[in-house]
Amino acid sequence: MVAWYGGALLLFGAAALAPVAVRDAFLLDALVIMLLWGAASAAWNVAGGYAGQVSLGHAAFFGIGAYAAALAGARFGQSPWLGLLAGVALSLAAGGIIGYLSNRLRGPYFALSTIAFSQVLLIVASRWRGFTAGSEGIPVPFRPGFWTLGLGHVAWVYLALAVAVLYYGVQVYLERSRVGYQLAGVREDEDAAEALGIATRRLKVVAITLSAALTSVCGALWAQYVGFVDPFYVFSIDLSIRFALHTIIGGIGSALGPYLGAILITALETYLRATFSGVRTGFTGIYLIIYGTALIVVVRFLPEGLTGLLARLRRPRAAARVADRAHA
Amino acid sequence: MLTLEGVTRRFGGLTAVRAVELEVARGELLGIIGPNGAGKTTLFNVIAGYYRPQEGRVLFEGRDVTGRPPHEICRLGLTRTFQIVKPFGNLSVLDNVMIGSLTRVTSVRSARADADRVIEVCGLAPYAGARARALPIGLRKRLEVARALATRPRLLLLDEVMAGLNPAELAGMVALIRRLHAEGLTLIVIEHIMAAMMRLARRIVVLHHGEKIAEGTPAEVAADRRVIDAYLGEEFVLAEA
Amino acid sequence: MDPPRRLGPAQIDALTQLGVSTILLGGIYALIAVGLTLIFGIMRVVNFAHGEFLMLGMYLAFWAFTLWRLDPYVVLLVAIPLFFLVGLASYVLVMKGVIAASHNVQIFTTVGLSVALQNVALVAWTGDFRYIRPWHSSEVVRVAGTAFNLSQVVAFLIAVALTVTLFLFMRSTHTGRVMRATAQDREAATLMGIDTGKVYRLTWAIGIAAVGAAGVLVSPLYSVYPTAGLQFVLLAYVVVVLGGLGDMVGALLGSLIVAGVEVVGSYFFGAAWKEVLYFVLFIAVLVFRPAGLFGQRGSEMLGA
Repeated sequence: MVAWYGGALLLFGAAALAPVAVRDAFLLDALVIMLLWGAASAAWNVAGGYAGQVSLGHAAFFGIGAYAAALAGARFGQSPWLGLLAGVALSLAAGGIIGYLSNRLRGPYFALSTIAFSQVLLIVASRWRGFTAGSEGIPVPFRPGFWTLGLGHVAWVYLALAVAVLYYGVQVYLERSRVGYQLAGVREDEDAAEALGIATRRLKVVAITLSAALTSVCGALWAQYVGFVDPFYVFSIDLSIRFALHTIIGGIGSALGPYLGAILITALETYLRATFSGVRTGFTGIYLIIYGTALIVVVRFLPEGLTGLLARLRRPRAAARVADRAHA
Repeated sequence: MLTLEGVTRRFGGLTAVRAVELEVARGELLGIIGPNGAGKTTLFNVIAGYYRPQEGRVLFEGRDVTGRPPHEICRLGLTRTFQIVKPFGNLSVLDNVMIGSLTRVTSVRSARADADRVIEVCGLAPYAGARARALPIGLRKRLEVARALATRPRLLLLDEVMAGLNPAELAGMVALIRRLHAEGLTLIVIEHIMAAMMRLARRIVVLHHGEKIAEGTPAEVAADRRVIDAYLGEEFVLAEA
Repeated sequence: MDPPRRLGPAQIDALTQLGVSTILLGGIYALIAVGLTLIFGIMRVVNFAHGEFLMLGMYLAFWAFTLWRLDPYVVLLVAIPLFFLVGLASYVLVMKGVIAASHNVQIFTTVGLSVALQNVALVAWTGDFRYIRPWHSSEVVRVAGTAFNLSQVVAFLIAVALTVTLFLFMRSTHTGRVMRATAQDREAATLMGIDTGKVYRLTWAIGIAAVGAAGVLVSPLYSVYPTAGLQFVLLAYVVVVLGGLGDMVGALLGSLIVAGVEVVGSYFFGAAWKEVLYFVLFIAVLVFRPAGLFGQRGSEMLGA
């Protein structure tokens, strides 16, 4: 398990200094998005990476958060912070349900049930016109101020950074603490973990519920930042896959992995958007071809992702020793 | 210390364990043998809480633990190992054992010290940093025992920890089991091969088709007509597999 | 007190219509799902890219029709061997390396394949909704008093014919029996000298050929766009889980159930909410009958 304190310090430090050095709104915007995607992927990592419960429906929690914050402002005239809290509460409940499913279903069955769950929410959000405004989505009113989350780019950078650092801390805790060791046991072999006195079922539910709540917070902030909630985006399978993709490419089960993945993928996406947006519609999809292919290659040849690769480069001898043992 | 009262476990039409009565005293080393499919592992699964018996009760230290989940039974002081070893493959040997220790101690630091001790006892010290997945089968069986020991059981169930070992490894495992027994641990050991068991246990229970067909000292059991018949049903494995 | 309501001619008519619609739709769903369940049953892999091969089949039919005026039913003759080859290629390039890997690795591999294929289509053909209208799509046929277009009826007939052929292949040929033996017990099959690698390659290729053919067949009925596979594959998951993952007969029954839920659901609740019905059904089956409605095997073992 590699927490990569040095790398994290470098990464988050650079993000903290960025608004001082750069005033360009386009770059700051990309930074906020990277940090939010990084945090959302870190939240996915709590269930998918640390507890080994691979969900392909985490957009459900992201969408719950986004809708809760947006509806709080647009429909009830309340602060999006209250919406955020409501979203967390709903996601805790939804996470409990999904967590319960994970106790009955393993592997692909669990992944399938999470897809179904997010699809149900997608349909409800896009069809329940009276409450969610249906498929048109909800524009989030911009009202300047912290309480209404109407912030400038610089403030958004620091808010997103705070969440990112907090989630990094949560993951480091999951690597170093007693619960973290027990989760690793559950991930590696549930029956064995149970035999060693670990309440595996409860632990899985806790991990998934925590992961759901953390994801929901990202959804709420994202909705306020972007200013529009589209049900077909926030509840999409694409988004669920995206959280997983960032994490796997960056390094699943490592605290820094989700951030590395999010930065890499978002950077290329942003670059291609800016460069090719006028050329032809759909051309930006090229980055997803690259990442789909990368996903296939990474899980097969580099299952520990970028952080695993960095570890090998840094300690080639240790890696060679491990390889020797593996062949022994 | 452990009492089974008429334990029966069926799967569909098949009765894997039928009305088994068993009594294990504190400090005892009990052997359970039987041909393939005799219900030995099913019996462990019932004792350790993986299967709920349809009939009968399991009492551990006087307490009814029938149907309790495995992790609770482990916390009460009864830990089992798996016949098909289940190491946490991507973790180091040390981490594997620490996960066991953390059931008893809350701080990661003291769990590490604790695990170091257990690893030493089990002769795994040279491999503490190796990934469990990379270990050869003999060492993985040892790790299985080490991890279970780390949960500080008062009763340890060992499921075929000697099967598939080469003679040197087998001798090491026998020595380890003897040492644990000498230190006061109560053990139930399942084996398919009788030979190793004959040297180890003072009392042996024989299962066949889910039923207890004999019980006694190794010599008594080996002379029992029904036991010989049961084992003659398949290949002759009294000596060596 | 009102006299009890009796089924008048109008209700009977509606029932027949719902029944016929269910069967027509179910036949097509069966062909989509049968490849998925075959692949799961034999390889123990859930193919998350299944819908993308369907989408490619739809595009094949679209371009053949648009460029060369080729009727989808003609294209089908080429599509089946072509998708068989696509299946072979994707097996060798992608699946072969992860066939012995963990479930999570397999999930991500097929998800990666899905993302890549979807976006190849997006980059190559943009995100526009496209459709074709061959002559038979506007030809009205009356079946049991209900109007259907000819494409729907022909698609149903061909889908059923292909599914039945696949069944016969699995039941009566040597290769089919070898495949079923592998599904039942991998290790025993290996011990009996079955080359499981070959079986998996063939299974995957057949599964892809079936879903590619389904894509061609549905092309006159639905729009084509890069994520068109998604709606079908979600359906196929429901079908396959209802029938018990890996169970071919179950998949047929599952198709009829899903089609029935869809048809009856749209009739009573409107098209907007029918999907909720089958996803709820899906989750309920996963929770309460993870081996499928008709399954008996311990599916937790399959899922483990």
